[in-house]
Amino acid sequence: MTAADVLDLALLALLLTCALGLARLKDLAASAILFSVYSFILCLLWAHRGAPDVAMTEAAVGAGITSVLFLVAIARVGGRER
Amino acid sequence: MRKGFAAALVFALAVPMMRGVSQLPRPGAPDGPVHTHVSAAYIDGGAAVGGAENLVTAVLLNYRALDTLGEVLVIFCAWLAVIAAMVPAAGEREREGSVPVSPVVAYVLRILAPFIGAFGVFVIVNGHVLPGGGFQGGVVLGALVILLAVALGPGRVARALPTNAWSLLRASGVLVFAGVGLAGAGLSGHLFGLSEQPILREWLMILLEVAIGTAAAAVLAGLFLAMIGSDSP
Repeated sequence: MTAADVLDLALLALLLTCALGLARLKDLAASAILFSVYSFILCLLWAHRGAPDVAMTEAAVGAGITSVLFLVAIARVGGRER
Repeated sequence: MRKGFAAALVFALAVPMMRGVSQLPRPGAPDGPVHTHVSAAYIDGGAAVGGAENLVTAVLLNYRALDTLGEVLVIFCAWLAVIAAMVPAAGEREREGSVPVSPVVAYVLRILAPFIGAFGVFVIVNGHVLPGGGFQGGVVLGALVILLAVALGPGRVARALPTNAWSLLRASGVLVFAGVGLAGAGLSGHLFGLSEQPILREWLMILLEVAIGTAAAAVLAGLFLAMIGSDSP
């Protein structure tokens, strides 16, 4: 197993942790933030797997814009999952 | 009787379809024609035939230009859906200034804004040679507009351009993309037939990237402004 594989596995483990955390969280604002963390990890994974175009989209759209839009939407409808 | 006919019709359509699907190569199989022929051809000749050193751009703007036109349309439709659903209620039209922004945040944004803008434009116009392209750069520019809306107040950003100009910018992606596609159909005989001349083709690609970027930036900024209920989104 090369160093690149170890990095991949570590990133995938982090991704899985984020996804499980997201499924458990009740606070929607916290979910939006954790989702942006998830996107950043996915972005690192894309970049490391040699897909810089996708990584760029993931960072700008997934981690940036969607988080903002989620937070605005949550602010408008009010904060917690029932 | 009608039910029997419908069942027979479904059966007659489904059986050949299932048979065809069952004979497709397994998804992801390395010996599928997609991997042995299509990908190989893109990688070998894509830069020369597709007209962009960045193969992803060659696929997006040339080989699969019709798909990209669909994506541009989807972004535009998302905008239409949001303005249809988010009619601001009478009491909350003017809420700007209600959230005070820390002077530190405002100062940092003022310093960073030109660099973010320059980066966005750089990503858009170099989409055919470097990673990135119209959509990615457009999202960066859209994020810049959102940051400015947070720092300066949404109303001020929304009023920076007349409403018609915002609408035109949002529609520019669809209009320019469809225009180039139809012009290609008229001139070369096939839809999105970009020019064979390398220099002209490069400029056409930059034009497409700029149109996509402008539309993406304007739509995303508009989504934010519409969702916070700002006046004249």
